[in-house]
Amino acid sequence: MLAIAKREFKAFFSSPIGYVCVAVILALYGFFYYQALSFHSTDYLTNVFSTMTGYSLFIIPLITMRSFSEDRKNKTDQALLTAPVNVSSIVLGKFLACFSVYFIAMTMTLVPVVLMSTFSTPPWGVVFGNYIASLLCGAAMMSIGIYISSLTTSQIIAAVGTLVAAILLTMIDTLGSAVSVEFVQKVINWISFNARYYTFTQGVFDIPGVVYFISLCGVFVFLTARKIESRRWN
Amino acid sequence: MIEVKNLTKRYGSNVALDNVSFTVDEGTILGFLGPNGAGKSTAMNIITGYLSATEGSVTVSGYNTLDNPNEVKRLIGYLPEIPPLYVDMTVEEYLNFMYDLKKVKLPRKDHIKEICELTKISHVYKRLIGNLSKGYRQRVGIAQALLGNPPVLILDEPTVGLDPKQIIEIRELVTRLGRNHTIILSSHILSEIQAVCERVIIINNGRLVADGKTDTLAHELSADHRLIARISGPEDEVLHAVRALGHVVDVTSYGKKETGVYEYIIECDMDYDIRRDLFALLARKGWPLMLLRSTELTLEDIFLQITSSDASFIEHPAADEPDEEPAGDEKKEA
Repeated sequence: MLAIAKREFKAFFSSPIGYVCVAVILALYGFFYYQALSFHSTDYLTNVFSTMTGYSLFIIPLITMRSFSEDRKNKTDQALLTAPVNVSSIVLGKFLACFSVYFIAMTMTLVPVVLMSTFSTPPWGVVFGNYIASLLCGAAMMSIGIYISSLTTSQIIAAVGTLVAAILLTMIDTLGSAVSVEFVQKVINWISFNARYYTFTQGVFDIPGVVYFISLCGVFVFLTARKIESRRWN
Repeated sequence: MIEVKNLTKRYGSNVALDNVSFTVDEGTILGFLGPNGAGKSTAMNIITGYLSATEGSVTVSGYNTLDNPNEVKRLIGYLPEIPPLYVDMTVEEYLNFMYDLKKVKLPRKDHIKEICELTKISHVYKRLIGNLSKGYRQRVGIAQALLGNPPVLILDEPTVGLDPKQIIEIRELVTRLGRNHTIILSSHILSEIQAVCERVIIINNGRLVADGKTDTLAHELSADHRLIARISGPEDEVLHAVRALGHVVDVTSYGKKETGVYEYIIECDMDYDIRRDLFALLARKGWPLMLLRSTELTLEDIFLQITSSDASFIEHPAADEPDEEPAGDEKKEA
């Protein structure tokens, strides 16, 4: 698992894609940070983080698109699948690599806050609430992206498919308020990334939210492993 | 070492492998022969655990590929048809990655160095795989298969796309490796199989159509054991004299080929070698023997015959048997 994670992680940074993804996320952060500072005087962090996380969901397809589709296209999956490792550890390795790229980007967004702390006292609860929520949200989105990339040999289709999934997940709240059936509303609120994300931004460490995001990762990692496993039988 | 039983693989309604069974003993180099799309790669992919069979089982060293996939994978080094190389890595990075992936326990540096020397890739060790030529990529693929010194090597068309010099080098390497490995090698090039393999299995349209030792397969599969002879002497007298020999079933003349030389087809009893008697007869009569050869099929003939008209060949009684029998015979011989 670690061997695969290490390789995949290196691959991100031996091509421009890793740098581009990190740079775009940081640029977004910088832009919203600047905007928040110039237009608001307080409570800037929640704003900056939540807007940025919303946008970085659209960067995640770029990180995950290659994970399985490229392997299958170049037939390198034969090396992985004929090596004495379980399919789930292959998927986990890929997931870890993708997540590390995102993790690096997200962790670097803490730099301004740290700088800020030298002459003021930032609300650390809110800062870390946002930070953890962004990581969890991103991880869940990534597991979906990796699953979609295991369905196709084309990176473009994987990226577009994940993008559509990301858009749906961001739009789902609007959909929730448009539907009048209470049950459907409940389901949509349960699925909604935003609703769960919001709790964290208040500086609350929301255990159900953590469980939700981590289970989502688990489910999609499992589905990806089953998908790859099932390809052997077709 | 490797036991393949009633292997069947279907892709929807398309049958890629149809009830294929064979065993490979330890230390054998087995050649997998068949035209493109015959099912060679599918069979290899199933043995290595990349694909699963629709029916049938594969055991390697007593481990079943379905029950103990990781044990089987540890025993096999696999070079797929397209070497599974990451073009964005250097040879060094790639081999180290495969070393970790295969959980090899041997001393890392020495082991990788040894393999690089064996496959002659030491001088491209620091180069990016994407910048290597096809021949070197193939060698890196073989190096990858050798990592961890697995007792079984499965090489899917290892020489495809290489230049003649490289082909010879790879063949030499395979022969050398064959001394302490069990190797399955697939190819659609006959001379390659003939040069390297001790045993050959021919697959066509997913079915195993022939199985035998490379040297004797031609003999076993030839339905007739006739001789073609060119004899310098009067046609009628030669015909008469040869017919009079014991064990001769029939002699026909094929007419004049050179001045005073006629060609004959001599058919004799199945298990009798007529050549000594024939020579003695002609020496006694003072008729020089200009040419003598068997009509026995070469591996090439067999291959063409099997693969071009599968159905008609199977109808042939002598060719029908190899479907099941020689697999058993081989075991006894070995």
